[in-house]
Amino acid sequence: MREPVKQRIIKLLIGASIIFVAVLIIIFNLRDNLIYFYSPTDLVEINLNNNQEIRVGGLVADNSLKYEENSSTYRFVITDEKNIINVEYRGILPNLFAENKGVVVEGIYFGANNIIANKVLAKHDENYMPPEVIDALQKEGKWQGE
Amino acid sequence: MSELLSYLGIVSLCVCLLVSLAQIKISYLKSNANYINYFNLSLIQFVSCLLSFLILIYIFITSDFNFSLVYQNSHTEKPMIYKLSGSWGNHEGSLLMWILILTIFNFMFASMSKANIRLTEITIGVQSFLILGFLLFLLLTSNPFSLLSESPNEGLGLNPILQDPFLAIHPPILYLGYVGFSLIFSLAIAGLLLNHIDKNWASIVKKWTLSAWILLTAGIGLGSYWAYNELGWGGYWFWDPVENASLMPWLAGTALIHCVSILEKRNTLQSWTVLLSILTFALSLIGTFLVRSGILNSVHAFASDPTRGLFILAFLLIVLIASLFIFARKGPFLDKEIKYHLLSRETGILVNNWLFLTILFIVFLGTVYPIFTDIVLNENITVGSKYYIFSITPIIFLFIFAMIITPFLNWSTNNYKILIQKIYKPTLLSVILIFSISLYFDKLSITEISLLILSSILIMANLNSNILFKNNSLYLTSNIGRALTHAGFALLIISIIANASYAKEKITQAKVDDKIIVGNYDFIFSSISQKKEKNYHKIIANFEMQQHSGTLKKLSPEIRFYNNPPTITSETSIARMLFRDIYIVMNVPENQEFINVRIHIKPFMNFIWVSILMMMIGGLFSISYRIKNS
Repeated sequence: MREPVKQRIIKLLIGASIIFVAVLIIIFNLRDNLIYFYSPTDLVEINLNNNQEIRVGGLVADNSLKYEENSSTYRFVITDEKNIINVEYRGILPNLFAENKGVVVEGIYFGANNIIANKVLAKHDENYMPPEVIDALQKEGKWQGE
Repeated sequence: MSELLSYLGIVSLCVCLLVSLAQIKISYLKSNANYINYFNLSLIQFVSCLLSFLILIYIFITSDFNFSLVYQNSHTEKPMIYKLSGSWGNHEGSLLMWILILTIFNFMFASMSKANIRLTEITIGVQSFLILGFLLFLLLTSNPFSLLSESPNEGLGLNPILQDPFLAIHPPILYLGYVGFSLIFSLAIAGLLLNHIDKNWASIVKKWTLSAWILLTAGIGLGSYWAYNELGWGGYWFWDPVENASLMPWLAGTALIHCVSILEKRNTLQSWTVLLSILTFALSLIGTFLVRSGILNSVHAFASDPTRGLFILAFLLIVLIASLFIFARKGPFLDKEIKYHLLSRETGILVNNWLFLTILFIVFLGTVYPIFTDIVLNENITVGSKYYIFSITPIIFLFIFAMIITPFLNWSTNNYKILIQKIYKPTLLSVILIFSISLYFDKLSITEISLLILSSILIMANLNSNILFKNNSLYLTSNIGRALTHAGFALLIISIIANASYAKEKITQAKVDDKIIVGNYDFIFSSISQKKEKNYHKIIANFEMQQHSGTLKKLSPEIRFYNNPPTITSETSIARMLFRDIYIVMNVPENQEFINVRIHIKPFMNFIWVSILMMMIGGLFSISYRIKNS
């Protein structure tokens, strides 16, 4: 005992359109919340909108780490040995954060190569290099690891 | 000695492999094999695997550095518990443990099964096929017993961040959950092959599904508890791909529990139930693949090797294609259509099933999309946690709404009058309660207030109708398990909202004798000291937490400097109070006279853990009720 064909088609159409709308909403939501990774050189080459949330990775430049005591803000420079980006960060730096070591920061791009970081991603041991940083360095031919 | 142990370990795995082949053969022949056969064989599978696993533990405990695995993951100075947990804290060991658990479930099923003989035989055959696949994987790509040509004096050590009591038991429990669903999968394939998906099948499957679900819930909970304590970020869930990998089988498994109930009570939805069984286990395999292949660049993926990834991927595809092929041939003819009213319990559960799958889709997309863009488009992206929160929140509304009404609906017929009678009191009470609370706590948004109201109705309605007072004593109804689990879920939502809306955080630098004020609390940095421990040395900062000038608690976050491997970790110090946790992390910048401190006030943390426990206890009640009545 099956339902009439017409009724089944209507049911199917309603179902399909609900799923279609739901998937569309989800995908748009995903697109709005993607965080892209860039190397400092990428940032020079593309014109990124200000106030966009991004990740940047590279090496912490030598002698670039400064601490402003009255505003508890760290400033440092990330480099891929070709271009640089200035980072401003209020927070606790990870234990293994050091100059000349790899780092990935996540934050808001403020134009003119400035980023206000809200996360400085932790590394878990001395020898670990985030894969993104390896990529960024390899692009500029500066990667010396295996 | 080491050679002998290595030899013995591998031989016992080979025995297990051969016996698994025999099991597959028994299930394949339309045999006159009997209970004794498959039972004995499954015992041998289990014992041989156990022997091999015990050897692994033995070489870790005795720090036998002739073994390359021990050399790479252990160190003589490590405390005993972490030598032990180190044996499964690496790729090879965890895989061996995975296989051991497969054989445990296989053996338990063989000894406890009350299903008919053919169903049992074929289930064990499918299970043995899985054991075989993983054994080949272990022996061909990841031999845990491979020896080094020269024996080093000292090992490289275990990543200190993994040296935590909760992380020691987290993988075994999580694996018990994952692998528990393998048995459901095997039962589904066996049932399909025999056209035997019915009420009887459902009642067998329900018990095992509940057990696997409880273990998976516990595993996820422990992982979250570890992340909260150890990572020092103040959060308990990060939508990290590895966390998502364990959440996905949980979502599918929870949907499965509900739809097995329909099958058991109403003998319908056969093909949907089977499909969910296959999906749940496939997601467990995908979870393993994602974590073990190193395809995710995540803090958790400590083992990575592309050939291993390819092997698991190939195995996953074989399992998936074979089972979907069997399903396509048999599945569509299983369904027995029945009629039910639009406002019946069947509809409620089906709606919930669809909502579960929607959440699953959201999590899956967010987890897999970055992998896709990385491989296909060569773009490196991360999915922000806002995606998950914004996408899932609206569904939670519908979800809790369906959870409130469904248990009060009848099977197949409409009886909205009873529904209204049962929920009008909890609804009124909750609305009044939450509105008066929200007058006091003015930060809550409309979304949060409405979610709180729904959750509160869910708790009250469940407890009110399942815990009864009669003649001065307390009675629990037979549905108390479900009621506790659902109330636990509601409590989880309430705790998450309270935690997110009222968390306070302060980041600052401090010198000795400084006072830091966060919320209603003062924190006095009283002293700093150093201490040498067995395998690390540490700097300890001592804080006194005061309120109204009286000292409440002492908090002492630490920085630990491990030598093997050279690593620095921050240990949080947490004061757990009934309604809030106070959470301190610190670090010591080089060449500075102060330390950096981050203080979190995190409301309702305890309730998050309690709600997860409640859900598990609810599951236990359901199982024990079933065992008593069978």
